[in-house]
Amino acid sequence: MTAITKSLAALVSCALAAGGLTAAGVAVLQPGTAQASSHREAPLISGQPQYDATDVYAFVSPDKPDTTTMVVNVLPFQDPAGGPNFYKFAHDARYDLHVDNNGDGQGDLLFRWTFKDHLKNGDTFLYNTGPVNSLEDATLNFTQTYDLEVIKLKHQKAVARAKLGSDLPVAPSNVGKASMPDYQKLRDQAVRKIGYSGGSTAFAGQSDDPFFLDLRVFDLLYGGDMSEVGNDTLKGYNVQSMSLQVPTSALTESKDQPVIGVWATTHRQTADGDWTQVSRLGSPLVNEVVIPRKDKDKFNASAPWDDGQFLKFVQEPELPKLVEQIYKIKAPDTPRDDLVQAFLTGVPKLNQPPNVRPAEELRLNTSIPPTGSPKRLGVLDGDNAGFPNGRRLSDDVLDIALQAMEGELLGKKNDLGDAVDENDQKFGGSFPYLALPSSGSDAKAVSKSAGQSLLNGGSGIGSSSDDNMVLAGSAAAGGGAVLLLGLGFLWMRSRRRAPRMRRH
Amino acid sequence: MVFALAAGLTATSVVIGASDGSGGSGGGQGAARGVRPAAARYEQLSGDGLARQIGAMQTHLRGEPKDAESWAGLGSAYVEQARTSGDPTRYPQAEKAFARSLSLQPRDNDVALAGRASLAAARHDFRGALRDADQALKVNSYSQGALAVRVDALVELGRYQDAYKAAEKADSLRPGIPVFTRLGYVLELRGDPAGARRVLLRAQDSATSPSDIAYVSTALGQLAWNQGEYDTARRAYSTALRAVPGYLPALEGRGRTSVADGRQKAGIRDLEAVVRRYPLPAELAALGEAYEARGDRSLARRQYSVVGTWITLARANGVATDLDSALVAADHGEVREALKAARAEWDRRRTVHTADALAWALHRNGEDEKALEYAERAAGPGYRNAAFRYHRGVIEKSLGDDKSARRHLKAALDLNPGFSPTGARAAKAALKALGGAR
Repeated sequence: MTAITKSLAALVSCALAAGGLTAAGVAVLQPGTAQASSHREAPLISGQPQYDATDVYAFVSPDKPDTTTMVVNVLPFQDPAGGPNFYKFAHDARYDLHVDNNGDGQGDLLFRWTFKDHLKNGDTFLYNTGPVNSLEDATLNFTQTYDLEVIKLKHQKAVARAKLGSDLPVAPSNVGKASMPDYQKLRDQAVRKIGYSGGSTAFAGQSDDPFFLDLRVFDLLYGGDMSEVGNDTLKGYNVQSMSLQVPTSALTESKDQPVIGVWATTHRQTADGDWTQVSRLGSPLVNEVVIPRKDKDKFNASAPWDDGQFLKFVQEPELPKLVEQIYKIKAPDTPRDDLVQAFLTGVPKLNQPPNVRPAEELRLNTSIPPTGSPKRLGVLDGDNAGFPNGRRLSDDVLDIALQAMEGELLGKKNDLGDAVDENDQKFGGSFPYLALPSSGSDAKAVSKSAGQSLLNGGSGIGSSSDDNMVLAGSAAAGGGAVLLLGLGFLWMRSRRRAPRMRRH
Repeated sequence: MVFALAAGLTATSVVIGASDGSGGSGGGQGAARGVRPAAARYEQLSGDGLARQIGAMQTHLRGEPKDAESWAGLGSAYVEQARTSGDPTRYPQAEKAFARSLSLQPRDNDVALAGRASLAAARHDFRGALRDADQALKVNSYSQGALAVRVDALVELGRYQDAYKAAEKADSLRPGIPVFTRLGYVLELRGDPAGARRVLLRAQDSATSPSDIAYVSTALGQLAWNQGEYDTARRAYSTALRAVPGYLPALEGRGRTSVADGRQKAGIRDLEAVVRRYPLPAELAALGEAYEARGDRSLARRQYSVVGTWITLARANGVATDLDSALVAADHGEVREALKAARAEWDRRRTVHTADALAWALHRNGEDEKALEYAERAAGPGYRNAAFRYHRGVIEKSLGDDKSARRHLKAALDLNPGFSPTGARAAKAALKALGGAR
């Protein structure tokens, strides 16, 4: 090393190029860091979560029981702090919501959202150029609109199409009190009646992420210290939502067959102009808890019709084995037909359609009326209007999935969970029900984590942060999707705490 | 003209791309909120705010050192950081992170394998990169990282048809910025600049993060520059610089473009800024040639001598001189060293670039018969490159094949008349000596 240092010193002091060598110069002058112009080092990480569905919800509308509400969320972890930040839907994607109304594992209806970007003033790259009091304001420089289409399918081929809405407005990112003094008004302007089946409503835009959980449950996989869970790690983060409320009769096969199965997919446009499916999501946590890590991308590219290929992961789940190793709670006997019902076929007499083909869909029995006092544990707590019969915004799906994994549906009572039982924001009483997004004004000051660490043995390369909002800066939040770890997670609420009273 | 010595030897001067554009809230989750974050998922890493994402992952891994996937993600973030910053100290750290990941999870660890493949490619071990990418794809045939590195490896090994097939397949399975950019480059190498432009425009349309916009726009600029479309190139570079102010590859492109179409002063200013931060052979040579074209021989020689020092240093440390240095040496330095380097590189990988470098080095050493063979090989796949055509024309002229020489010298100047300020001058002079283009 000293030889190099010496010769570098010599180099630095020798007649030099256009001035002094900076540290960078010295670094790149170390031989062995050859750079060839022929080798174009293109980006290797894509980090574009706007193409990934993060959650799907489907429930009978509590205030309009003859309608069904469906929500698809993408682009989680939108951080209003340290901003202003803004986020958008991809305009080279097709966001599809599929409805299978006869249980054959194939979609019969498909709702498709496609988005367009608009810039009012191309000379400036600001999101907004002053206070925004209405979606029409000239001060809202960047906007998105969307088209909504419904496609009727037979044997997975389109047989009829209809435009339900064109150029509908998208609710903007909530960039703060100064820019958007009355965000509720902007939200309301983005809720639109559409002429589908005699009375439907649509909304697309930013909202508070309704999902709640303590991400640190994942640390359990590595025997992590769980004494501190109970924080909603998604608190204060926003998400992009697409939601739709339609008369239930437009979705179901008939009065006698009221069970529908829904799932979301995203197709992304390829360089060749084709469309490739890059994301798929029905029930929550399946791709995290059930599907092994190496098959996640495959699952995202596949269709429910072919879910036979994933059957063994449901019948022989990894998670209970892990729990047994760490917590000595005996894993239920396999094959797990109870999980096959919860995840693939629906539960008999609850939400299983006749002649069902096992397929991963969020199955909702639309004939079960909504309840005025929903229970966070849904079906597990005797409230059949909640997950896994569809999914409401307030359902504590993490605890439900965990308890089901450990055999709750087999009558094996347990009380597992992450100690986060509800969302930090209250949901609305009418469509779109989603809480308003947090803004930079609401967010607490962010303390950036220090770069130096035991792991890198010194400070990393700092990068300058500039907080001017430019359009190029509409990057998706990086740093981790909600459900990031291969096999899943688990947390046992500390037994030292008073156990929650629960009736079974 | 002498600049003040850069006062601070700061680490920040290293950053070439990846400024934290607003909205690129990398690593924001958890870390920013004072709780221990779950690690970033490999797929969700983005080129912006990498330092923060890395910080968040390190914090997480201190708490959960057995998290194999996060170790792989950290390694990939290091590789990306080295790519955007030119900081080579990240490579050994990345290597350790991948090894750690694989020791924790030896089976079915496609993320670590794909990451290791990207590290091998960054270190120019393209065979190793191909091997690891294929291994990763055996585990997960949809791995975007592995699909992308596979294209890189095949390109750099000169297997252009295979690279094209790999890029098409990657596009159909995992469309996205990493794949679009590679497909665009493969199309250009196959002699289809229009197709390359179409794909890169698709990528630009799809890019959202500042670092991606800067990269893709710069690639569009380079493509346009290679076809002599200087206005288009300049527009693309300014888009890149608007996304990431001071983005060096775009600054270099803008500098070369200005020099090419006669705005010497502005061009030299840009190239000086690049060399101040990034004194590498190709960049030093570009600045040297711009000085030379301005008639400033002594300043030019100073740039070339730094390249010479670089090569001396490399040799002293047992490192093979790379392709760029070989080309610079062939033009402005030790021709013998240039030939040695070009031969070694040709033995490692047979690409249009190594063929051209070897042809030129052979010519500069007086071996024109052999040189022609390699110049023709460089032209084989159809890649439209003015410097290649110029080299070939000069070699043909030395061999007395005036007709071919005229054709290729003219083709070089027609394609990209400012491909190199000194090279273009020499091409015009040679053409004149041959009685002009007929």
